[in-house]
Amino acid sequence: MKIDNSPPTWAEALLRAFLKPDVFASVSGDLLEQYRDSILSARGNYGADAWYVKQVLGFVLRASRLWAALFAGAFVARTALDWLLPTTDFHLRSMVSTVLGTGILLMAGFWVAWRSGSFAAGVAIGIAITAVAAVYSLGGNLILLAIWHDPGTMAAINGSGGLEEALLLPAFLILPGLVFGGIAGVLSGVARRLIPTR
Amino acid sequence: MAEVLGTFEQAVLLAIVRLRDAAYGRAILQEVEKRLTREVAAGAVHATLERLENKGLVRSQLGSGTAIRAGRPRRYYQLEPSGLSALNDAREVMEELWRGLTWPLKGYV
Repeated sequence: MKIDNSPPTWAEALLRAFLKPDVFASVSGDLLEQYRDSILSARGNYGADAWYVKQVLGFVLRASRLWAALFAGAFVARTALDWLLPTTDFHLRSMVSTVLGTGILLMAGFWVAWRSGSFAAGVAIGIAITAVAAVYSLGGNLILLAIWHDPGTMAAINGSGGLEEALLLPAFLILPGLVFGGIAGVLSGVARRLIPTR
Repeated sequence: MAEVLGTFEQAVLLAIVRLRDAAYGRAILQEVEKRLTREVAAGAVHATLERLENKGLVRSQLGSGTAIRAGRPRRYYQLEPSGLSALNDAREVMEELWRGLTWPLKGYV
């Protein structure tokens, strides 16, 4: 049986990645105090750890949901375009949506890594954005499908990669999220060295 | 006209009022949970406090840490005059909306 009065270190590291250092100190102190003083005795080690992880994921979700909405919005808009205005030349559309998606990940990763002063924050936000966006995109694409499922649209869907691609592709974007979030984290670290901050 | 407050913002500001000098993150969280009689995410309280501070309705300062917090500092919050005005206005609006009605409402449906 696990006997410990500290929350999972990885969860604390994740929280650290998403908050400015001074904010992390007070917020993690509040969570630790609540964890040790109230939650641990009421829920036991595993229940308390689950509570702590849930709290941290709440912070992660709050930090990523706007970016995730933008990312998913771009993906659903591209899907709608392919379904409702079919084409045989996807080159321009692919280029625009790739640049848009990459740009969102780089901007978010840079901003969060800059704010927290942590490279890991870029990686974490990239993963969080794409994971949350996968859920949003799935919902968005299912709504599109519920509205437009006539034979013409179904033919356009099949001609643009099929239903599976539209519904499952967002989940596979978590890896690019990690990569571009990491790149943004590195860029932010370089920028912090070059640009003096207060 | 003072800032228009949402219900959760009012809950957080009133927790600061009740807690006075002891209004720091965890205490505010517990007070809000007690008044709303439900579990509240620490992130929701933190985000609200940050927003209220950005609006100039509260101010904060770091205090000392304790052993149970591994020495990490507490951030204490205090109401600004604009925060007090916003709370008073919110109460006034609510009373005006309910004026002439008997609570709990009965017989209207």
